[in-house]
Amino acid sequence: MSTGKVIVSAESVVMDYQTPTGIKHVLSDISFSLLEGEFASIVGPSGVGKTTLLRLLTGLMKPTSGVIRINGQEVNSPPPGLAVVLQDYTRSLMPWLTVEKNISLPLKRLGLSKTEIAETIELVLTEVGLSGNQKNYPWQLSGGMQQRVAIARAIAVRPQLLIMDEPFASVDAQTRFDLEDLVLKVRDDFKITTAMVTHDIDEAVYLSDKVVVLYGSPANVKEIVKVDLPYPRNQVASRGREEFAELRTKIYAQVRGLQ
Amino acid sequence: MIKKISMNAIQSLWLPFALVAAWWVFSANSEDPFFPPLSVIWDQFVFLWVFDNVPIHVVPSLINLFSGFSIGVLIGLVGGVIIGTNQGLARYIEPSVDFIRSIPPVATVPIFIMIFGLSYEMRVAAIAFSAIFPTMLAVIQGMHSNNPTLLDTAKVFRLTPFQTLVRVRIPAAGPIIFSGIQVSLQVAFVVTIASELLGSGFGIGAFTLIATDTFMITDAWTGVILMGTLGFLVNVIFNLVERRVLRWYLASKKLS
Repeated sequence: MSTGKVIVSAESVVMDYQTPTGIKHVLSDISFSLLEGEFASIVGPSGVGKTTLLRLLTGLMKPTSGVIRINGQEVNSPPPGLAVVLQDYTRSLMPWLTVEKNISLPLKRLGLSKTEIAETIELVLTEVGLSGNQKNYPWQLSGGMQQRVAIARAIAVRPQLLIMDEPFASVDAQTRFDLEDLVLKVRDDFKITTAMVTHDIDEAVYLSDKVVVLYGSPANVKEIVKVDLPYPRNQVASRGREEFAELRTKIYAQVRGLQ
Repeated sequence: MIKKISMNAIQSLWLPFALVAAWWVFSANSEDPFFPPLSVIWDQFVFLWVFDNVPIHVVPSLINLFSGFSIGVLIGLVGGVIIGTNQGLARYIEPSVDFIRSIPPVATVPIFIMIFGLSYEMRVAAIAFSAIFPTMLAVIQGMHSNNPTLLDTAKVFRLTPFQTLVRVRIPAAGPIIFSGIQVSLQVAFVVTIASELLGSGFGIGAFTLIATDTFMITDAWTGVILMGTLGFLVNVIFNLVERRVLRWYLASKKLS
């Protein structure tokens, strides 16, 4: 499901924090890469540094040493062609703007005409199943729908790289399955390279081409597990396969430090 | 719907009505020159303020109020944004701001008289000055309390700092800013009256003071009632505007 071109790479990334009590080593020697169109999940025990890694990938932080590259360019600040979906949709969607104004906000930088923007909004809202909701405000929608708007906003800019930080942790389990399938559909239709942090190992296996397991203090890449489950994936069939169970058990054991 | 509105009306109005009724009854036979019967005050109120003296006294006061209030709030907004987004600058300026705003606004009126003399400019300047600080401090607080997720999102979408300020930080601080502006309005109203107590022939405050000085007590009472009524109305209008602008905030609070 990939053309083989490297979109994101982390090369020996180290991240240390200054704290009042001394230096905290969070990440040490993180190296991995993502090819175009690949979907990678980043998992690991709580507090290992997954969100820190995401912040480095998005350019919100600079690594202490090592390099993050997107499209071959070193990342020092948020690069163009990046989109995020964050866990807390109530704080990442702007509540004083309608759905369409929320989606058009990042589009303004792309120099599109008014008609093009309106068409794009209609396109992405239809893609996430929220056609017709342009004039609604986020707080008028349910949690799952708000996260769909966040996803719509992310794909509207046709990003090179989509970063998701535990995007479904704040919605109920049923909605989570719907949103996971939405992500698969979006991925199918738009072929966007994606990196997702999640605590949910089942979800990681279900959605990904590979799973990057972070472990240790400071954290390093314990293993990169390839997920060879066939596409198209399906909540019932894919999760019922033997390989699914094997993969999740293996990854879970690593996250828990049992392997 | 009608039932709900009348329920609301009854809940909010019963106490004022009860107090006024009590006042009416207990003062009915009063012979004290300083506490005339409410019925007499009411007659004089209608005679004076409905609507003959409105252009002479009410309009100048309101003009001063709105001029001073607008200027003060504008300075407060701009100054607040500058100080609130500039940590270095804040360190040099904020302590002085904290000091100046602790001075009771009415007490600054004599200083303005010294600077401007007894003039229209003095009044507007005093009102504007008093209106600056509640707004400015609210804006500063609003700039500091912007939540990081919103700002991260703006950064990843590569909004320029100016775009982030205007399109994200200021709207996000809307509720805090509006509450600051409301305090500014209330302070401005008080200073409007206070600024008229010296050297002005016209204005509600001036009218009330002159009436008191010349022992036209009933007239003075009408002035006091007028002040209360106007202050209340001004606030009601402000709240209506606020409710419209902050629709998003109020509705989202109702849901959480």
